[in-house]
Amino acid sequence: MEQKPTDLELIQKVLNGETDQYALLVKRHQRFVFTLALRFSKNREDAEEIAQDCFVKAYKALGTFKQTAKFSTWLYTITYTTAMTFLRKNRLDTTSIHDEGTVLQLENQTSSFNANGYERQDSHAFLNKAIAQLLPDDAVIITLFYKGEQSLEEIGAALHMEPNTIKVKLHRARQRLKEKLQYLLKDEVKELL
Amino acid sequence: MNTIEQQLWDYIDGNLDESSKKAIEEKITLNAEVKSQYEDLLKLNLVFDGLDLDEPSMSFTRNVMESVAMIPAPVAMKTKVDKKIIYGIGGFFVISLLALLGYVFYNVNLEMPKFDLNVNLDFNLGKYITPTAIYAFLFADLVIGLIFLDQFLRKKIAQK
Repeated sequence: MEQKPTDLELIQKVLNGETDQYALLVKRHQRFVFTLALRFSKNREDAEEIAQDCFVKAYKALGTFKQTAKFSTWLYTITYTTAMTFLRKNRLDTTSIHDEGTVLQLENQTSSFNANGYERQDSHAFLNKAIAQLLPDDAVIITLFYKGEQSLEEIGAALHMEPNTIKVKLHRARQRLKEKLQYLLKDEVKELL
Repeated sequence: MNTIEQQLWDYIDGNLDESSKKAIEEKITLNAEVKSQYEDLLKLNLVFDGLDLDEPSMSFTRNVMESVAMIPAPVAMKTKVDKKIIYGIGGFFVISLLALLGYVFYNVNLEMPKFDLNVNLDFNLGKYITPTAIYAFLFADLVIGLIFLDQFLRKKIAQK
């Protein structure tokens, strides 16, 4: 069975002129970059624009990538800064989860699930709904930790924060996510957990 | 902030040193409440682990590749910096210095002045030691000091 080339091997090929190999890198990381972008923008079209912009920026700067760190960590740093710039430009709504409006919105969503008989939606769907309602930073840290295979140090490097700060933020993000799940699932949360 | 819950999360994440790990393991074994909390967190951790990644549109890769096709291909920094350019710049400075030195030697008056024993030893140093001169001297010292510090730290990092 043929072994898949590593990220570093693909980067070397691109730098040696085989630019079409970049498509493999994009395919490998697109889901993750898109998900991170979605955590910030909360909108698929914008997330796709941000993710596309990230890959173009990464391509332009590929020659400066120091191959001592993971390509994914470097890419997530680009994603974070691009998404933050996008947020500042578009002044998207990033209200706190403790804001009254957000809670109201949550309550409405919960009642609509019950009214429409959606109680039995699988745990993944609820989890994704809950995470979509977190603050962007919390959602990104949770995603990077559980799906990005990133250590606290690597997440810190990607988000320009100290590992200890990330640890505290991760703890708070988990608590908030648990609260969100409890809001969405009410009694079912016991079943889910 | 170091609640029992945070300690349990650190234990689950594997962020504890040996002694803290043993301490929390002991708490889990001896305290039923902590044990139940630990089991809840383990289940929650499993739920979080089941998080799904979103899929972008089918044309995503194609769109990215179309965008990058219009950009010049990236090259490694090493190949970007051509050694010939470095040597060229270095050569220019060496030639300039040699030319300047040649000009100075060409115009210099090499005749020895008549030897005069009445040497005036009154240098009037007060005229030269002005506050500006002292500041300039201290500034130069500071710059030299920083250069040496920089070299020293670089060597230390390289040794690691």
